[in-house]
Amino acid sequence: MSPHKTIRIREEGDTLVVCVGGYLNSLLGEEVEKAVRTRLDGGGRRILLDFQDTRLVNSIGISFVIGIVEKVMEREGRMAFCGVSRINSDLFRVTGLAKYVRSFETEKEVLDFLAGNA
Amino acid sequence: MGYLRLFGTMGAEASFREEDFFGREEELSALTRAALEGSRGIGSSFMIYGPPNIGKTSLLLKLARTLGASGGEEGVPRPFPLYFSFSQILSHPLALSQHFLQEVLSQLLRFLGDPRPSAFDPAAMCDRLTSFGVMGCREVLAAHERCTAEGDGLSALVNALSFPFSSSGGLFYPVFLFDDFQYTGKLQGVPEGAMLSILRPHIKSGHFPMFLSGSSPGRVTAALKREGLYGTFQMIEIGGLSTDSAVRLWGYLCERRRVDIPASLLSRASERLGGIPTYQRMLVEEIFFGGANVPDAVTFENLYAVSVTEGKINRYWREFFENTFPDRARRGRAIRFLKRVLCDLFPLDTMEGAISLMGASEEEGEAILSALEFKGLLKADLDQISFVGDPVLADFLYWAFEHGVLGKGTSQVAASIVQAKLSRTAPLPGQGGDHARRVSIVKELMRKWDLREVPLLLLDFGKFREKFGGKGLLEVVIGMEREAVRVRLPKVSSVSTGYRASRGGPRFDFDLVAYGFLDGDFSEENLVLWAVDAAVEKNLGARAVEHFENRCRLLALEKGLPDDRLRKWMILNETADPAAVDLASGYGIHLSHPTQLRLFLNLFGLEELEREPDPARSPGAEAPRAGKTLEYELVLPIKADSEVVAARVAEEVAAFASVDADTVDRVKMAIIEACINAFEHSASESGKVRLRYLLAPDKIDIFVQDDGKGFRPGKTPEESKKNRGWGLKLIRELLDDVEITTGPDGTVVHMVKHLGADPANPGAVQQGEGGSASPGES
Repeated sequence: MSPHKTIRIREEGDTLVVCVGGYLNSLLGEEVEKAVRTRLDGGGRRILLDFQDTRLVNSIGISFVIGIVEKVMEREGRMAFCGVSRINSDLFRVTGLAKYVRSFETEKEVLDFLAGNA
Repeated sequence: MGYLRLFGTMGAEASFREEDFFGREEELSALTRAALEGSRGIGSSFMIYGPPNIGKTSLLLKLARTLGASGGEEGVPRPFPLYFSFSQILSHPLALSQHFLQEVLSQLLRFLGDPRPSAFDPAAMCDRLTSFGVMGCREVLAAHERCTAEGDGLSALVNALSFPFSSSGGLFYPVFLFDDFQYTGKLQGVPEGAMLSILRPHIKSGHFPMFLSGSSPGRVTAALKREGLYGTFQMIEIGGLSTDSAVRLWGYLCERRRVDIPASLLSRASERLGGIPTYQRMLVEEIFFGGANVPDAVTFENLYAVSVTEGKINRYWREFFENTFPDRARRGRAIRFLKRVLCDLFPLDTMEGAISLMGASEEEGEAILSALEFKGLLKADLDQISFVGDPVLADFLYWAFEHGVLGKGTSQVAASIVQAKLSRTAPLPGQGGDHARRVSIVKELMRKWDLREVPLLLLDFGKFREKFGGKGLLEVVIGMEREAVRVRLPKVSSVSTGYRASRGGPRFDFDLVAYGFLDGDFSEENLVLWAVDAAVEKNLGARAVEHFENRCRLLALEKGLPDDRLRKWMILNETADPAAVDLASGYGIHLSHPTQLRLFLNLFGLEELEREPDPARSPGAEAPRAGKTLEYELVLPIKADSEVVAARVAEEVAAFASVDADTVDRVKMAIIEACINAFEHSASESGKVRLRYLLAPDKIDIFVQDDGKGFRPGKTPEESKKNRGWGLKLIRELLDDVEITTGPDGTVVHMVKHLGADPANPGAVQQGEGGSASPGES
């Protein structure tokens, strides 16, 4: 297992919160994808990816996030990001991710947004 | 004589509920202080102005209540707040003066503790006032009756306003709260400004604080200037409530009507309504009577859009325009004009510009502007005009235009309003504030120009770079002083800030539009406009220059300006593509690099606000290693995650040059991508990738080299399927220059990041031996 891989998962109401820590590469991307897929298969539709502790991202990691977004959209779920650093925000913009998923500063803002309060 | 039976100044006083009043703490505190100073003969006078229904009357009535409850100190006279509205119902001076006297008698007796009289008997009321020590009331009444009998309206008004407003024992003094004061300019047979002449002794005394409120400050201030009273008045502009106050008002209104709007929506809802309490009330009433639920932002936006297009807000503004412009054709013209100014945000600040935009005759144009000013939708100061910034009115005008002119259905318009509100995206992190700061400092700079001459090089990035690229700051400063080619800047009379949001399409105005004059004479012949944009993108591209030029052409066309009267200026964020620089030069667009701007600001004694200057990173400044290039090498095994090591080394190398965190992040990401490319595509037999870092004063060069079989740029079908193949595109986005040389002996990716956005080194992609990849390929 990669020494840079950390992922924490928890639930906030009916939202799955996935905290992506360390280096978002193919291994970590796969883990995140698995967690989200399991959730979608179980009927969950609200996903929050928290990048607060993401130190590095590579293009393969981003390709997994794109795949996750596609899956969530296919299932008509709602998804948002928080804690996206400036550089990652640039990467998300270049890859077009930012067009499909909104980013917020804090987890609370995302939860409000996903709950339809913002 | 028959006095009018109108109690309570048109009902405004009676309908005011103190518990409905929120916010405005600062204004109230200033006004209360000024009113109380009247007791010492140093009371000030205020002109309170703002758009219709913003809450000016409520502020005056709240002040009246506050003052009414104050005082009581031994030996200190109490303020007697006299509220009176000059609204248009009484346009005849006789009727007005009668009503005024009636109000004075009635309000003063109540102030002194009497109950509201059952019948209105002026003589008895005067006698009662005499018993309180208010002498001379009967005489004023008699003189007023005489003037009335003679039909002399002006004299009757003078008499009424000469009422003895204070008592002989110094128990109280009046504080005049005169509302809707602009109507005094419309009294039949009374010249404009006469009312101020009559009030002049009160205003000048300092004992009678005078607060005039109205929606048309231009007229009143012009009258004040004519009367030599302008300096005596302080101006207070009333705008929307602060978000905090507006949120509290939402809470109160929702609770009263048992309407449930989630707390998380309230600040956004306040912003949507411009913090204007009237709209909040209308919307809550509408939600209550419609029995609607507001569970989320989308529902709120829908309810709002329905109100603007067919509900209460729509009715309110329709009636407003019908009353203001009874003539249908003129109403249409006024609405079309206002739509362009408020909704499309056409930059406009002169009467002449406004009339030409309307496409009406001068006479009709002036009549429309005058009506708009009277109603408080525009503010005129000398020849400069500005318009009310009411977001709800802008949406109403959008509806009026789309529905009335383009014939679109109401629900269609409502849908597009909702869509526009929901799709308005926030600026990228850190971008909005930084851009706004840059714009505001340039605005301040332009205001200081005042016909000074400066080196033309400050406005010509291409030539500046040619001459000073790579030189030290001191050398640049000295060189600039010696510059013989200078340009005379205009005297700027107004700079308006533009906006960047748009209704889903490209933006079409400017960050700043300045009106200036080429010499001290403010004449039409000397007028010059400066259109200014501060680039948001770090590397200005040719497309942005093209777009700017197109907007300038549109502006010149609409303003009827010859070429030499519109100056175009773009301020770079960091650097620009060579093609963009050439294009700008071809179009006659001034370009300034942040370094040029810094020098510009220094000339005018201004500090740069945007970023802390970092001497180590300013173009041409001394580099940490005094011009030497440091070289580092690293050999990585092709092994999962070893690219992280390369990134960490880059971090350490960058630390030598005090490179900012954002640049370091970009370099690290680019290295990671280049390494991954080598790992995945090289099929290297040695299983190694070699990295070289060259740290020069002005740039970092990174070489990532493998000894594999070379690779063909472009996404493989497999990569496309897996959303992969972003590597090269990202590298090109992250760094300034990228050069790829690939062949049977391996591949070298050469990446460059210029430090401090050196103007001498704009990004350029060179062709490598094995051909270079185009952006988007990997």
